[in-house]
Amino acid sequence: MQVSYFETARYQVPPSMPAEWPVPPVAYDPETGAQAYQGMVDRVRHVEELGFDWVSLSEHHYSPRILTPNTAVSASYIAARSKKIKIAVLGPIVSQSNPVQVAEELAMLDTLSEGRLVVGLLRGTTNEYLTFDLNPAEARERTTEAMELILKAWTEPQPFGWQGRHYQFRTVSVWPRPLQQPLPPTYSLGTSRESCEFAARHHIGLGVSFAPFPVVAKSTRYYRDECARWGWEPAPEQMLYRANILLAETDEEAEELLEKQRHGTAPFPMRAGVRDALLKLDQRNVAGEARAPNVGGVLPTSFYGGPDTVVEQIKRCREEVGVGVLDLAFQNPGAPDTGRLVHSLELFADKVLPRIRGV
Amino acid sequence: MTQAGEAFREGHVEADGFRIRYMAAGAGPPLVHLHGAGGLRLTPGHDLLSRQFRIVALEMPGFGTSSENTRTRSQAELAATMAEAVDKLGFDKFNLMGTSFGGKTALWLAAQQPDQVQALVLEAPAAIRPEGSEPPSGSPEEMARRLYAHPERVTLPPPPDPAVRAQTGRLVARLRGPDRDPDLEVLLATLAVPTLVLFGTLDRVIPPEMGRHYKTLLPNCNLVLVYDAGHAISTDRPEAFAEVVGDFVERREAFVISRNETVIHP
Amino acid sequence: MKVSYFETGHYQPPRQLPARWPVAPDNYDGAAGARSYSGMVERLGLVETLGFDWVSVAEHHYSPHRLTPAPTVSAAYLAACSRRIKIAVLGPIVSQSNPVQVAENLAMLDNMMPGRLVVGLLRGVTGEYLTYGLNPQEARERTTEATELILKAWTEPQAFGWQGRHFRFRTVSVWPRPMQQPHPPTYALGASRESCALAARHQLGLGVAYGPFEVMGRAVRYYREQCAQYGWQPAPEHIIYRANILLAKTDGAAQDLLEARRGPRDSFPLPAGVRDALVQLDRRNIAGETRTPAIGGTLPINFCGGPDTIVEQIKRCRAESGAGVIDLMFQIPGAADLSFLMQSLELFGKKVLPHIRDV
Repeated sequence: MQVSYFETARYQVPPSMPAEWPVPPVAYDPETGAQAYQGMVDRVRHVEELGFDWVSLSEHHYSPRILTPNTAVSASYIAARSKKIKIAVLGPIVSQSNPVQVAEELAMLDTLSEGRLVVGLLRGTTNEYLTFDLNPAEARERTTEAMELILKAWTEPQPFGWQGRHYQFRTVSVWPRPLQQPLPPTYSLGTSRESCEFAARHHIGLGVSFAPFPVVAKSTRYYRDECARWGWEPAPEQMLYRANILLAETDEEAEELLEKQRHGTAPFPMRAGVRDALLKLDQRNVAGEARAPNVGGVLPTSFYGGPDTVVEQIKRCREEVGVGVLDLAFQNPGAPDTGRLVHSLELFADKVLPRIRGV
Repeated sequence: MTQAGEAFREGHVEADGFRIRYMAAGAGPPLVHLHGAGGLRLTPGHDLLSRQFRIVALEMPGFGTSSENTRTRSQAELAATMAEAVDKLGFDKFNLMGTSFGGKTALWLAAQQPDQVQALVLEAPAAIRPEGSEPPSGSPEEMARRLYAHPERVTLPPPPDPAVRAQTGRLVARLRGPDRDPDLEVLLATLAVPTLVLFGTLDRVIPPEMGRHYKTLLPNCNLVLVYDAGHAISTDRPEAFAEVVGDFVERREAFVISRNETVIHP
Repeated sequence: MKVSYFETGHYQPPRQLPARWPVAPDNYDGAAGARSYSGMVERLGLVETLGFDWVSVAEHHYSPHRLTPAPTVSAAYLAACSRRIKIAVLGPIVSQSNPVQVAENLAMLDNMMPGRLVVGLLRGVTGEYLTYGLNPQEARERTTEATELILKAWTEPQAFGWQGRHFRFRTVSVWPRPMQQPHPPTYALGASRESCALAARHQLGLGVAYGPFEVMGRAVRYYREQCAQYGWQPAPEHIIYRANILLAKTDGAAQDLLEARRGPRDSFPLPAGVRDALVQLDRRNIAGETRTPAIGGTLPINFCGGPDTIVEQIKRCRAESGAGVIDLMFQIPGAADLSFLMQSLELFGKKVLPHIRDV
């Protein structure tokens, strides 16, 4: 089992910060901003030493809680300050970016990082529709087309034009190419049927996230069936599961911390009128079964407890869901500083990691 | 080229002892408009909005050729008078738009009748001004330079009758109130009506930086900057103006969700 | 006088490349690409030690000569590899990017390297219109609007929407904010009347390039007049002059190299039909005087000679153009001759730099 540490470049939010998304920039403090990125680098170096396989980043906008609106730029900075840990961008929101630009950025990044890049291509969380005015009704189609164009831009040997539905280019001829050939390890991020089918068709991996094991297992099962239809079998490392983890010294302590978290604030709380409208418009599914979108709300914690319990949960996860990579968001409920986070990471490296390598 | 407002028809209502003139056009949800210190003037923006709404532009008492208004003492009073006029028009719930001076009136009206106003649009509102602001004045050319981003592109309206101008000047001076009005601002904190504040990036009457104050004061407010437009947004960039106003009045805060179609070819 | 080293990547292909743009990506050699980036880092270390004030990167697409389609990605990497030298992104081609994304990326960079970011916003050279399908007729307007939106996105403390001509956003609320206030030192890149007016209006610097000192001086004079109309005076550091330099040990050696260099050396050679069409469509001017667009031709060498001659030329440049920053692209006799480049840099650092500090 490979383990990835999900880094958010988290800006330490003072209690007075307005909660509603988008957060107005007036709340920003430069010292805290600099510390967020410095903290990011420090944590990456630390987890590299501790033996984590990857560090991952995600794309979110207009919020202090995740200060990486462009994963490639932050990944590039991290690449220069790390040596061997893989750097996973999970992932650029391709539905609302210029896909050729994404292909170019990631090709540069793969070369700069000397082949340590892992790529996840994402449709985007519901609140992100508002960032660059993405029509929710078009998100699925735009994502699929963008992903195809990115893969083409990386692999097509000759300059080509693209007459798409949503994207049109007369000339695409990306320089440099990714260092890893033919592609960096690439994942389609999302539990939907469309995501699974795309991944199977294009021989790329699948990334699922946050929902409980039985739910995401539906996706990985569907993905594997689809791959079989296309005549291939994915390795466990071609399936990744991003999840919240709350690791404490004991089960009791973890329970207490989890309780505290239940009353915490959602990461991207939105105005009621907007949230209600989005709920109606955002079509989501898990391997074809409709599910309600999570509009900026609190996400469940899939792994929690003391080290022994978490080891068991991870083993169970591997059995039930089949993933070979865990991308872990270490929870830090209520803590104003990152001290407890670092402690969790060390505890994980010490008491969990060695016991799950063979899983 | 058609004149702005050609399709609008004149009417009158009696309200609060005043005879109030209005211009109306279109069919659809009601959109009531309160004009700026220059008086009622129909713009291409009005024409575009009349395709989506029943738009009624009210002439506030003492403006235009109506007899001098020496009675109204404050914007709050003016708002109450206009609320009565709207009532006489037969609208129970309605959408409200105010421009500049009329933006302040509209804010007072919404604060007084929050259950009736469904959406509030403030076009370059004058409710919050930098210290020491003066209303624009001068020759028609000077006024044009203050009001429009590109005065050379605008056909100037005929200059107002000096008597009318003097009379409205007195009225505005009496009613415009302080640059910051603490009584009004206290009310805004609880005004739940979805509000859209528009400022042109080239507004030379009220700096667009004033927009952010409405964002901090109002609980349900969106600020939109109209690029390359001056104080008279609906004249400078009528299509850009009508698009965002129309969308906001229809969908309110949910207007942030795109419904653009980006399919290039099927 | 401040000096910036313009890093262009220096990709050294193992085989002769086809001449015409776009060069098929088929020709790309991953190892050579990797060497190009590590060379960049090596040169960065050298110029920082020698005391150059800035290192600059530009945006160019689909090109084997410059491997930087995403200058913010390379800037992030360079920022992490250096301590004091300023990093100038000169510049994102704002006419064909999402301006909010540009604002976000640059704000991130500003937080990652506090106080070291310099920004130039660019309309783009004519050939770049072909990259993302930018209509040449719209380039100027789009650049102006994008610049205004970027500045607003950096400085507006509350979330706002933007009803533009070419860009429309319902929600803009950039996190993080730039650390340098009100924003990083920003330049409008281009000698046109529009660029000068834009820079004057927003108290930005001006960047001019490659023309003779006296011609650039005219643009700078126009810029200063415009600034006066807006009630301010630019300092010398408000003016960047990007130029080619051929520095050898002696004037004679430089002259020889100059002779050897003659003959077509097109960076972006286009098919004739395309080039002709572009010349018709692309309107360019220098402070109002029309000029023919430079489409992929060879750019002149502006500084040529041994160290003493270069010092004199730099002094003359300052006198005639008023520039307070020179952004230098060091010429080398052949694509493979990177050792000449390193020698030139050393020569410049030791024999030129000390004599021009007070210019």
